[in-house]
Amino acid sequence: MSEEDVERWTAAATWTASAELTPVQTLLWRAERHPVQSSTSTVVVDLDRAPDWERLVAAAEWGTRLVRRLRQRVVDPLVPTAPPTWADDPTFDLGYHLRRERVSSRDEVLAQATQVALRPFDRSRPLWEGVLFEGLPDGAAAYVLKIHHALADPLGTVQLLSMLQSGRREHTPRKPLGAEPATSVDADPVELAVAGLRVDVSTLPEAAVATARTLAHAATRPQVVVASALRYGASVRRLMTQAAPPSPELSPRTGKRWSFLTLDAPLDPLRAVARQGGGTLDDAAVALVLGGLRRYHERRGSAVPEIPVGVRVSLDRADDLGNRFAGAVISGPLAVEDPVDRVAAVRGEVLSLHTERALEVLDVAAPVVNRLPSFVGAAALRTAVPPDAFVLTLPGPPRRRYMAGAQVQGMYVLGPLPGAALTVSLVTCGDTACIGVNVDASAVADLEALAECLAEGVEEMVSAAPAADGQSVGPT
Amino acid sequence: MSGLSAEVEQAIEAIGAGPQGPTVGAFFDLDGTLVAGYTAATFYGDRLRGRAVSPAEFVRTVVTAVDGELGGDPTRIAHVAFSAMRGESEEAFADLGERLFRSKIAGTIRRESRALVHAHQRAGHTVAVASAATAYQIAPVARDLGVEHLVCTRLVVEDGQFTGATDGPMLWGRHKASGVRAFAREHDVDLTASYAYGNGYEDVAFLSSVGHPTALNPHRDLRAAAARLGWPVLDLSDPVGGSLLAAGRTVAALAGMNAGVGAGLAYGLARGDLRRGRNAAISLATRLPMALAGVSLDVLHPERLWSHRPAIFIANHQSSLDIPVLGRLLERDFTIVAKKEARWDPRAVVGSVVIDPAWIDRSDSESARATLAGVVERVRGGTSLMIFPEGTRSPTPVLGPFRKGAFHLAAQAGVPVVPVVLRNTGELMGRSSLVLNPGVVDVCVLEPETDWRVEDMSERIAALHTTFEQTLAHWPSGEHR
Repeated sequence: MSEEDVERWTAAATWTASAELTPVQTLLWRAERHPVQSSTSTVVVDLDRAPDWERLVAAAEWGTRLVRRLRQRVVDPLVPTAPPTWADDPTFDLGYHLRRERVSSRDEVLAQATQVALRPFDRSRPLWEGVLFEGLPDGAAAYVLKIHHALADPLGTVQLLSMLQSGRREHTPRKPLGAEPATSVDADPVELAVAGLRVDVSTLPEAAVATARTLAHAATRPQVVVASALRYGASVRRLMTQAAPPSPELSPRTGKRWSFLTLDAPLDPLRAVARQGGGTLDDAAVALVLGGLRRYHERRGSAVPEIPVGVRVSLDRADDLGNRFAGAVISGPLAVEDPVDRVAAVRGEVLSLHTERALEVLDVAAPVVNRLPSFVGAAALRTAVPPDAFVLTLPGPPRRRYMAGAQVQGMYVLGPLPGAALTVSLVTCGDTACIGVNVDASAVADLEALAECLAEGVEEMVSAAPAADGQSVGPT
Repeated sequence: MSGLSAEVEQAIEAIGAGPQGPTVGAFFDLDGTLVAGYTAATFYGDRLRGRAVSPAEFVRTVVTAVDGELGGDPTRIAHVAFSAMRGESEEAFADLGERLFRSKIAGTIRRESRALVHAHQRAGHTVAVASAATAYQIAPVARDLGVEHLVCTRLVVEDGQFTGATDGPMLWGRHKASGVRAFAREHDVDLTASYAYGNGYEDVAFLSSVGHPTALNPHRDLRAAAARLGWPVLDLSDPVGGSLLAAGRTVAALAGMNAGVGAGLAYGLARGDLRRGRNAAISLATRLPMALAGVSLDVLHPERLWSHRPAIFIANHQSSLDIPVLGRLLERDFTIVAKKEARWDPRAVVGSVVIDPAWIDRSDSESARATLAGVVERVRGGTSLMIFPEGTRSPTPVLGPFRKGAFHLAAQAGVPVVPVVLRNTGELMGRSSLVLNPGVVDVCVLEPETDWRVEDMSERIAALHTTFEQTLAHWPSGEHR
């Protein structure tokens, strides 16, 4: 048993220990309208060979014991006086969540994965589903994991997967298991609602005093309060309205027809281009997608200078990965031809978001919205104009990993399409960028052309990297 | 001592220590960065006063401005202004820019911004003003700072008239950033080695396009972003436009000056010695008001003020403050040459009683020559002379050309010229301002120069002009103290 594996697995055991859903998770959970406002991500893991089925099932059995959350379901209170809670599912049946199928090509894997993703979850069971696809040429296989955002966001999913994978091909006996939870949480919808109400009532006097104090404070300095409220409002308005108008080439969107495609790019040149443009890998990923879309628009004879792109902004420091993120929409430049220049332009747009005091508006609004009926939350999520594309970068495993004896060749995250025409996730796997693209097939007139253009976008980015002499830019 | 804050000194040192040469760029935002306040507001204020603005346009402007503040499109206000300019003559507008520069904008250039620009110029960097403003606002400022390049919003001109449209996008936010990137490509500037200075929240993209961004007197939101992004923040002192307190002190200073004159003269009369009375009056009339206004002097080489008397003292001129400062320095036994028209200037009346200037009638060369002959006699008799060789106040600390009169007088009277370099009097009291702000005036007395002759006069004047410029650019440190 390798030192590194133990470390990773121990971390997995303590993964998201909190019993309650966070306000934002709650909002997504309650506002979900599958598949249009889905919170489901799908991960396609390419494997070099078909793993031994028995071993895979055993590993899943072990993994779901190690990471308790995988055997828990969400229990909603009868009325929204309290956040939903995780509770052990007494009827948990691994057979329901894990199955295997035979396919003949990788395209078929992607097509099947789309169908898996489009089927809504049984919300009364643990929120994941895994399918092993066997029968690919050369004995290869693919593992498709569908996971709900309430259980793990895409970042968490990749983390979880890389934590549960092994550093060796051989089987590891006597793997660690997390400590048994002391007691299972009481998870009766009525009880939850009553408990929430009880907390509300007991904190009511305090809350009233605090509110009165805030109001009194505000009354003594009305100018400051009004000015600061106006500035906040202005920031919210800028965040909601000032991105570019949506492209006519990427509509009408129904959100009901998903189409998955995957791309690979060597990481080093991508990082080099990012550095040249003064940006990060995130910025390079956005610039890459914009490059592909630029070509697509050109091919369709459409002159659109910029499109709205949803990105993730670290709330802590721009260059760090940080722990707190906010989603925001930037105007992605389509008109910039030079890839390095495009990275710089994207960089400028993303950094400009840091002047917006309302960047974390969803975090602030979620607790309030959650007290309202779920359709209000759904409507609230829809008020923000959806971007044409979401682009997301996720750190994956830095080295080769194995799943039940099969080597992981690539890991592609295919995120949901909440109103967007495409969602692109770039996962770093060793020295390769695994790019997963979910496209709203009803919004794109020529899917094949889009796939080609995105591939050309990758090519363009990679070849823009300076070829340092003596060093190859490709995978080493 | 230098009048620059420690942070600015550090930044200037870092520029000097960093890479040199034209491949390094330095991009300065205009409004709020090079100058305090908004030049567009100055232009608009002028339009308002000139009644060139219809009530409807005024309302539209205000509504657009407020909407921009409340999260609407902040560039719309400019487009409203541009379209209102449709049909106006470009030449007239450029002239207006020059006029407003001299009367208003020159006084708002931050001294420390100027020092930063000069630091980049010394390093041989490619310096440019990058701003959403139009060339008519920027050009005079850029010229004054010796900045050659403008990256700015261009207005379309047809047959010498504005069409109301812009040529390309307004260089605001991302467009300013891409303007700077395009400029860098054209001029072979390496952005990763370059510097940029800006103050608004819209400047983030512009700032992030270079390797060395600095948030200069940033607005609230840019300050927050700079903290998050780890960008350095520099807070520069503003040339204060005259606070109420400063105004009050100025009034007190004027009263003090008059009281000083009165007391001095009374003393002289009582002692029956008008010369001593005058000297006492000068002393009181300069010390009292400066003390009241909170102005003090920091003089390098004060001994040179006394080593060669009588002499012709020459100084650079930016402010009404220069005269009391020089009065305070020279203390006694001096006079000035003034143009006849200034004789009845209410501010000059008081002073003229005390220092008895030689009034020159410029329109009548015969009488002017006679007056000057009289002046030469007075100098030989022991009264020193104070002359501003630039002839007129400069709108900014940039030195104007020297006229020859002072040096001819020195040659004729056979006395030395004592050069006195003044710094930052213009900051404490703007060229056309009536308000004096508290602060320290830096003075450097240069080596007195003797033996003036007509033959080599031009070369010596040129050399002295250069010495003035260099002293202003690299203020000597007070090693003698």
